[in-house]
Amino acid sequence: MWIRKSYILCIIVYTTIHFAVLNMGKAEQSTLKVERLLTKLVDELNLVNQKLGSLIELNEKMLKAQEEFLRVGSDRNHFATELKLEPDAMSLLSLPMSLRKTVMVLYKLEKATAEDLARETKRLRPVESAHANQLVRMGYLSKKREGREVYFYIESPMEMRK
Amino acid sequence: MRKKAISIHSSRGGTGKTMIATNLAAIYALKGLNVALLDLDFRSPSLVDVFSKGIREPVRHWLNDFLDGRCKAEQALTDASEAYGLKGKLLLGLANPAIEAIQNTMEKSRAWEVTAVKRLFSLHSALFGDMGIDCCIIDTSPGVQYTSINAVVSSDVSVVVATLDSLELKGLKNMLAELYDAFGKKTVVLINKVFPETRVWSSDKQKSVISKMEKVLKHPVIGVIPCYCDVLQAKRTSLLAVDKPFHPFLRNLEEVAEKLESINEANVEEDILCKAKS
Repeated sequence: MWIRKSYILCIIVYTTIHFAVLNMGKAEQSTLKVERLLTKLVDELNLVNQKLGSLIELNEKMLKAQEEFLRVGSDRNHFATELKLEPDAMSLLSLPMSLRKTVMVLYKLEKATAEDLARETKRLRPVESAHANQLVRMGYLSKKREGREVYFYIESPMEMRK
Repeated sequence: MRKKAISIHSSRGGTGKTMIATNLAAIYALKGLNVALLDLDFRSPSLVDVFSKGIREPVRHWLNDFLDGRCKAEQALTDASEAYGLKGKLLLGLANPAIEAIQNTMEKSRAWEVTAVKRLFSLHSALFGDMGIDCCIIDTSPGVQYTSINAVVSSDVSVVVATLDSLELKGLKNMLAELYDAFGKKTVVLINKVFPETRVWSSDKQKSVISKMEKVLKHPVIGVIPCYCDVLQAKRTSLLAVDKPFHPFLRNLEEVAEKLESINEANVEEDILCKAKS
């Protein structure tokens, strides 16, 4: 009976110890799991942080560009002057005859008002003005104001380049 | 003669452009006109050889230098009138024959070509202004190349020299429509090196052949010059208009020169419109 009691007690103690050990293992395992989860969470947060940093940087750049656009907004030819095309004789062949004639006159005059162009091409001044402005928008010509006159010209920034 | 720049061009090489350009210049200068002859054939310069007798001092500045902005217009021109005993002035704008210069020309950018065409226009202004030149003849390189197109764009009249080679005529027809009409330039065709039988053709037969050619090419034919063996075999340094002034080749060319003098380049647009309607 005592043996039986002792045996049962042993079993109980063993089971208790076993379960205690088992629980300890489980607790350790869950701690590890939590640690792993936390590490993963920190990593994810770092990634989110990095992406947010890039987004903020991009947003700042966009704001700067917007400010620049607003600053030069009044100058409608800003983008045309940025994107300059070389109006060489071969390129003229791809232009319509009406525009080609204006460029050819500017080869000769170097710099001209719409009126000067009209005198050479024997077309009306408003027609010539429209053609020259179209060429400015296309990036083939540039224009500048001198007093009351607006002059159209072919910009040669790489004049001395080979 | 109304002051004008005449470009001599062709769709292919070997049509006799240089022979026609040099002798046309000499014909005008012999008549007492002041002429400038420019060599825009930078890939194969030849005027320096043709006029070697007339160039007394070593050339310091070439036409290449002027277009590169390295010298003024008057520095790039050599006066050859005295050496040939011409009544009028004959100023030569020579292309540099050195291999480095030819290579350099081939490497030019589109930006440079824009500057070059503007400089060509400024050269014409200087020639027809202070220098008192009546006629500027431009010898070009054959086919569609930047230098030849620049010459066509900057000239008032273009003479396209062609032979009766069928392949060449096909190329010429395309070039006339797609290049000359596109730039709205007064263009005339000169048929050179035609088979020798044409020498004995009656004027009626010549006229009917010319009118047929004009119908095909849709451009005026300003003359038909027969092939002369002695002209083909002549030395490169021989200026026929001076050395053999009574040669029949020159009689033909003198007729062409007269027709060119009377050409009015102002009615080009009307011509193009008429052609479009027809």
